[in-house]
Amino acid sequence: MTAQTALLQGTLDLLILKTLSAGELHGLGISRRIGQVTHGAFEVKPGSLFPALHRMEDAGWLTSFWGESAAHRRAKYYRLTKSGRQQLKAETEEWGRVSLGIAMALHAT
Amino acid sequence: MPILPRLRNAFRHLRDSTPADRDLDLELRAHAEMLEREKIDGGLSPEAARREALFETGGIEQVKESVREVRAGAFLASVLQDLRYGARTLARTPAFTLAAIVALALGIGASTAIFSVVNAVLLRPLPYRDPGSLAVLLHKGRNPVSAPNFRDWQRESRSFAAMGAAQGWQPNLMGGQEPERVEAVRMTSEMLPMLGVPPFLGRVFAPIEDEAGKDHEVVLSHALWRRRFGADRGLVGRAISLDGEPYTVVGVMPPEFRFPPFWQTGAQLWAPLALDRNPSRDGNSLRVFARLKPGVPYAGAQAEITGLTGRLEKEFPGTNRDVFVRSLQETVVGRVRPALLVLLAAVGFLLLIACGNVAHMLLARSAARQKEVAVRTAIGASRGRLVRQFLTESLLLALSGGAAGLLLALAATRVIVSIRPLGLPSIDTLSLDVRVLAFSLVISIATGVAFGLAPALASASRDLSESLREGERGSTEGRGRHRLRSILVGSEFALALILLVAAGLMIRTFVALQAVDPGFDPRHVLSMVVSVSGSPSVEPGRRGVFYLRVLDRVRALPGVRSASFINHLPLAGDIWGFPFAVEGRPAPPRGDAPTAAYRVVLPGYFQTMGLPLRRGRDIASADRLGTPGVVVVNEWLANRFWPGADAIGKRIALGGGGDGPSDWLTVIGVVKNAARSDWTAPADSEIYVPLLQSPRYLETRFFAVEYLTLVVATSGDPAAAAGSVRTAVHSIDPAVTISEVQTMEHAVGQANAQPRFYLILLSAFAAVAILLAAVGIYGVMSYVVSRRAHEMGIRMALGARRADLLRLVVGQGMAVALAGAAAGLAGALVLTRLMSGLLYKVPPTDLATFAGVTAVLIGVALAATWIPARRATRIDPMTALRAD
Repeated sequence: MTAQTALLQGTLDLLILKTLSAGELHGLGISRRIGQVTHGAFEVKPGSLFPALHRMEDAGWLTSFWGESAAHRRAKYYRLTKSGRQQLKAETEEWGRVSLGIAMALHAT
Repeated sequence: MPILPRLRNAFRHLRDSTPADRDLDLELRAHAEMLEREKIDGGLSPEAARREALFETGGIEQVKESVREVRAGAFLASVLQDLRYGARTLARTPAFTLAAIVALALGIGASTAIFSVVNAVLLRPLPYRDPGSLAVLLHKGRNPVSAPNFRDWQRESRSFAAMGAAQGWQPNLMGGQEPERVEAVRMTSEMLPMLGVPPFLGRVFAPIEDEAGKDHEVVLSHALWRRRFGADRGLVGRAISLDGEPYTVVGVMPPEFRFPPFWQTGAQLWAPLALDRNPSRDGNSLRVFARLKPGVPYAGAQAEITGLTGRLEKEFPGTNRDVFVRSLQETVVGRVRPALLVLLAAVGFLLLIACGNVAHMLLARSAARQKEVAVRTAIGASRGRLVRQFLTESLLLALSGGAAGLLLALAATRVIVSIRPLGLPSIDTLSLDVRVLAFSLVISIATGVAFGLAPALASASRDLSESLREGERGSTEGRGRHRLRSILVGSEFALALILLVAAGLMIRTFVALQAVDPGFDPRHVLSMVVSVSGSPSVEPGRRGVFYLRVLDRVRALPGVRSASFINHLPLAGDIWGFPFAVEGRPAPPRGDAPTAAYRVVLPGYFQTMGLPLRRGRDIASADRLGTPGVVVVNEWLANRFWPGADAIGKRIALGGGGDGPSDWLTVIGVVKNAARSDWTAPADSEIYVPLLQSPRYLETRFFAVEYLTLVVATSGDPAAAAGSVRTAVHSIDPAVTISEVQTMEHAVGQANAQPRFYLILLSAFAAVAILLAAVGIYGVMSYVVSRRAHEMGIRMALGARRADLLRLVVGQGMAVALAGAAAGLAGALVLTRLMSGLLYKVPPTDLATFAGVTAVLIGVALAATWIPARRATRIDPMTALRAD
């Protein structure tokens, strides 16, 4: 795995964790919320969203359950676990360090 | 369709039907529908909405595939992680790991070794074509059959596709180096085609070859062909010399061919059997084998044979009673099956004990690991994940134990094969084959799950806050966990007690067997079979002279006290039952005449064997052809036929009826009863006739009367005299063969080889079982004491005396041990019944054995709890209380 994809994967994880920290959501909801908060900068396709959700669930950061959507349809919802919150905290700090470092590197002349 | 894609398809189908996959499918479909609804709400037509939704989802199957990839990768990674973690954990506690692996290796090793015996003896089919339809026709128990009966059965029965007969033979193989007596079988031409094993070289016998005069052909075993003839392919068609006569080698059988599978099991060559045209229906020497016609059950064949022999019995009374058709396989293994199943059950118990031991060791350890578990649960490890982690560790342990056990089994099976327990058929084919390997793999995994699951579930299901609290404080451990361990240790004691009872019963049996009086004194006696077949000494005028000269020469050897010859040595030799008549008694109906074991001896036999002469005199050199016939009988015969009277001077006749006075033999002596062919067989009539009065043994040309057993009493070690005795025999005629050289003590040992084999195995299992159970209770009590150090400290601080604490700990341990022992006694009462066939003069519910082993077990339990109890009394209250 190259450094770039690792970073991208990490970014997606962080976005999902952050999105779910506000409350439980189904896959489409997560994707729409990420689109809203990043003003369309990220459009998360199902082909990358679902593998990420399932991987994070296996890692114990998320749990899932079947619930009813706003339109009265069955949908699978995701929710952060305790270790997911810890992970969010750790990744947020990590992201802060990385983005600060990158910003400084780009501004350096 | 090629195999690989098909397999992949099958796999995909299997995978797609898992609940997780169906769940994923539902989730993605719900997602697509929601997307579609969104588009319709946004003003698109339903068709366009569906199209766009599908397009945006990017194909449900592709998404599923990538989710699966992620999941499979994660699963593999977590398994590897579990394995690494497990190996590290096990390596961190080498003493624990080693103890667990040793316990498992003993359990799995013993089970695998015994299973490999069961596999070789019971499970593997006999090496013939369609062995399930092969049958044996037995006459009165396991007795042989006469030639006319065989011919009648063969001709008149309709149930069999083929029927053949075989007869034992021990020819002297001449030529080459020293002549050698070999085990062989003569058989009718139906036999080899019926068995359906094609020869390795050449051919088998043609029907013409069992005609008298045309029977000088021979088929060799692969082993004899290699050993004696250097695997020479050119041997087929050439002649070899058997008993001094030329026999043409027509074929060689493949290496794995063995026949027969019981009775003459070591046969190294096979020759045609020409049946006498007019023999007596009383001369029983044939073993009859048959193959059932397809679709005919054994019961059907039995019904036909019963009817057939019923008719023959009317015509020839006393010759066709009790004829049984039995499956060949059953005849071979029927007798040993109960014993082997007892051994298999015993190792099963041993394995359970080992499992129990490792289980409570793991439980104790998992208690110590509560904090680790609690922390991992707190940071989000799921219960399933933890159970998996613990199970991975157990399986690692079990498979390591299994691998070590396999090595142990390999060594054990070598020992078992090398001691060749008598009466275990096809034991020499014992090997660790695929079935044995699969067995040990399966039991390893099963034990891993069995002993790992309980501790894993116990650990994973613990209440978080409780374990965090309990981990900090040295309080008493949870009730449920303690009870689980008590049950485990109690069960170990129960199983150990059953094994101990089994071993105890075998020990009592063996003591009873040792107490059996064989009549003779086996110490300082050497025996060997001397066969004159094919040598110059076989000639009628020279045979008696040869035997007498051998005795003169051997008796003159230094260290030899006496020497004599007998036709069939007790325990090691054959038994020929001869019907006889007693003078002055009415002749019983045909077939009901009493029979006696027929022994032919030279003077000095009783003295050499230490067989006391109760009355009268020994056979003398003067009792020879031309003088009045004499006989020595055993006490049993004398008491049976002349109770309260003096047997000396009474007369008997061999062969059923005295036709003339010359046939009457006068009793000149009575000897003590001697053991027969079976160590524990009850006494029966025996007669000893002088060799020098037996034309049969002095003149008849028939292999079965052309050998005698030389017995030599020595002043020192009898085995050491073997060389000089052999040289002395060969100095008189170098062409005679000497075989079966053994001391009488060895023959006695062989007669008891099977009970000794079971005794050794059961005792070893019981010893390991009691050791494991002791370690188990010691471990549990040590653990209890260390966990309760705090409580003990308080008790002592409050004024408890050391004796009180001692009683407390020992009492707790003994309660578990006694409960286990009680359960074990109940189990033993039921299970030892299965052993009754192995026991001799000991009932399966022998009170002394039950009481004795219970006492031993309680003693061991006391000792094992005493040590930790003593430790409890040495606890310094201040240290214990301060420990937190």
